[in-house]
Amino acid sequence: MQVSSKEKFWLTAPITFFLLVMLGFPLLLDLIYSVSEVTFENLLAPRLQGFENYFETLQDPTYWDALAFSLKFGLTASLVQLFLALFLAIYLEPLLARHPWLMAVLMAPMMVAPALIGLMYRLILHEFVGVIPYYLWEWVGDSPAFLGTENAFLTLVTIEILQWTPFALLILYTAYRSIPSHLREAARMDGANSLQLLMLVELPYMMPVILLTFFIRFIDSFRVFDNIYVLVGSGAGGTSTSLSIYIYKAFFRGGNIGQAVAASVLLFLAALLLIALLERFSRRMETT
Amino acid sequence: MSMLFRWLIFGFAALLFNFPLLSTLLTSLKSEGEIVSNPSIIIQSPTLANYVKIFEMADRVDILPFLWNSLVISALGAFFALLLAFPAAYVIVRTGFGRNWLLPFVLNLRALPLIIFAIPLYMMFQAVGLLDTLLGLALIMCIINLPLTLALLSSTLRNIPEELDDAARIDGASTLSIILRIILPLSVAAIASSSVLGFVYAWNEFLFGLMLTTKSATPITVGASFFFSASGGGVKWGVASAVIMLSLLPPLIVGLLFYRSIGSSLTGGAVKG
Repeated sequence: MQVSSKEKFWLTAPITFFLLVMLGFPLLLDLIYSVSEVTFENLLAPRLQGFENYFETLQDPTYWDALAFSLKFGLTASLVQLFLALFLAIYLEPLLARHPWLMAVLMAPMMVAPALIGLMYRLILHEFVGVIPYYLWEWVGDSPAFLGTENAFLTLVTIEILQWTPFALLILYTAYRSIPSHLREAARMDGANSLQLLMLVELPYMMPVILLTFFIRFIDSFRVFDNIYVLVGSGAGGTSTSLSIYIYKAFFRGGNIGQAVAASVLLFLAALLLIALLERFSRRMETT
Repeated sequence: MSMLFRWLIFGFAALLFNFPLLSTLLTSLKSEGEIVSNPSIIIQSPTLANYVKIFEMADRVDILPFLWNSLVISALGAFFALLLAFPAAYVIVRTGFGRNWLLPFVLNLRALPLIIFAIPLYMMFQAVGLLDTLLGLALIMCIINLPLTLALLSSTLRNIPEELDDAARIDGASTLSIILRIILPLSVAAIASSSVLGFVYAWNEFLFGLMLTTKSATPITVGASFFFSASGGGVKWGVASAVIMLSLLPPLIVGLLFYRSIGSSLTGGAVKG
């Protein structure tokens, strides 16, 4: 006797129902509202109007600025995290293998809310009481406006990198540790030096995990909201408006529901595209 | 010698990554006067006064409800995810039902920015009265936790031999009692690590806490910033720092206690997700 089809249904029904209500229905609402003329007054009876909201969003320069910001932020943050973490994972491996608890020290920032990290930097970067401006004045005699228009990107991306490099480090360290020792021995046998071992054996072996780490970090940094919102509100002059902040602002500040929803649908389509790429990529990895 | 360099690099990385935490901790131990006169990392006269002051100003902003809200939301959020994912994981692993639609769909949620659903969820919550409620936010946390929970549970269940099920069936056990009496006790480790991770994720969530609450269900990640503006006039940096330290403590303690299992589950979940 096996699990009956009735049981299959009832055991998966709760999660399916939950997903339909909490994600499926909202997505449907997104789609409907995005082609409707909608305000807070006629929420329950939106008037269909075609693709007006999409045109408006696509013609809005701040939308493109936000998209560009998110792309640049996601790419910069994930690439730097990846290289930093890869270096630390490989270089510190002998140390971390001998004292595993050291990993806990490096992991601590991952356990802290990005919003709280943002609040911390409000103090740390404060021009009068902040510790970083204090030492810069002390040592260099000058301190930049960290969250001013020209420096905001660099400051925010640095904060993101410092908080999430540990995540990439953890994954890459585990992958590095799981390289079968016979691969290394065989390469040594063939006379490979350390650099050749790294470039020709270890890194290729880790490549699927490296790419996956990059994807995960890119997606998470791309949708950044918390620390930016806490540090610079919803954007000083729009220079630090991520796509997430753009949607939030259009809805809550501008009351521009149609445009916010259209931007959400566009983001959904972009995410689908990325997921499809990821799926294809991971399937190819499985077959090779 | 080369180990010494490794220690140096480790020390540097550890200080760099943990710098905001350490710096905030130091500030929270300085008196309000010293914070203004001495922003350096050396404390002249350490004090716990800021931590006491948090509770003295409870009539204006009270930290305890925020902490309580976060606790309830995070615990419920982790629990709901387990409740939904466990039976589904069993069916997926044992029968293959849902392996090609339910499993990939849930795992891919990890890659979907949830802000996409934020506006309609706001409207739905408003319509059914879930806005500014603990239950409402716990449901959101459940969505956030589902991918990792399902990934962890299904990879654990895959390693439980099916012969155990068969033997129990021969003894006349129903599917439900197999799940509860045999599978559940054998997956305690996965349940523990998904609860820990779910708790940490939910505690640290900010966006939905900000959008879907106004006052009675506000979580601590949102509430903490109220202390920056609550004292009237200038920001009381010492109190604000102490509030931040208290706010980050629960997930930090839980996370570090279970850091080993978090390491392996996060990488397992990430590699599969």
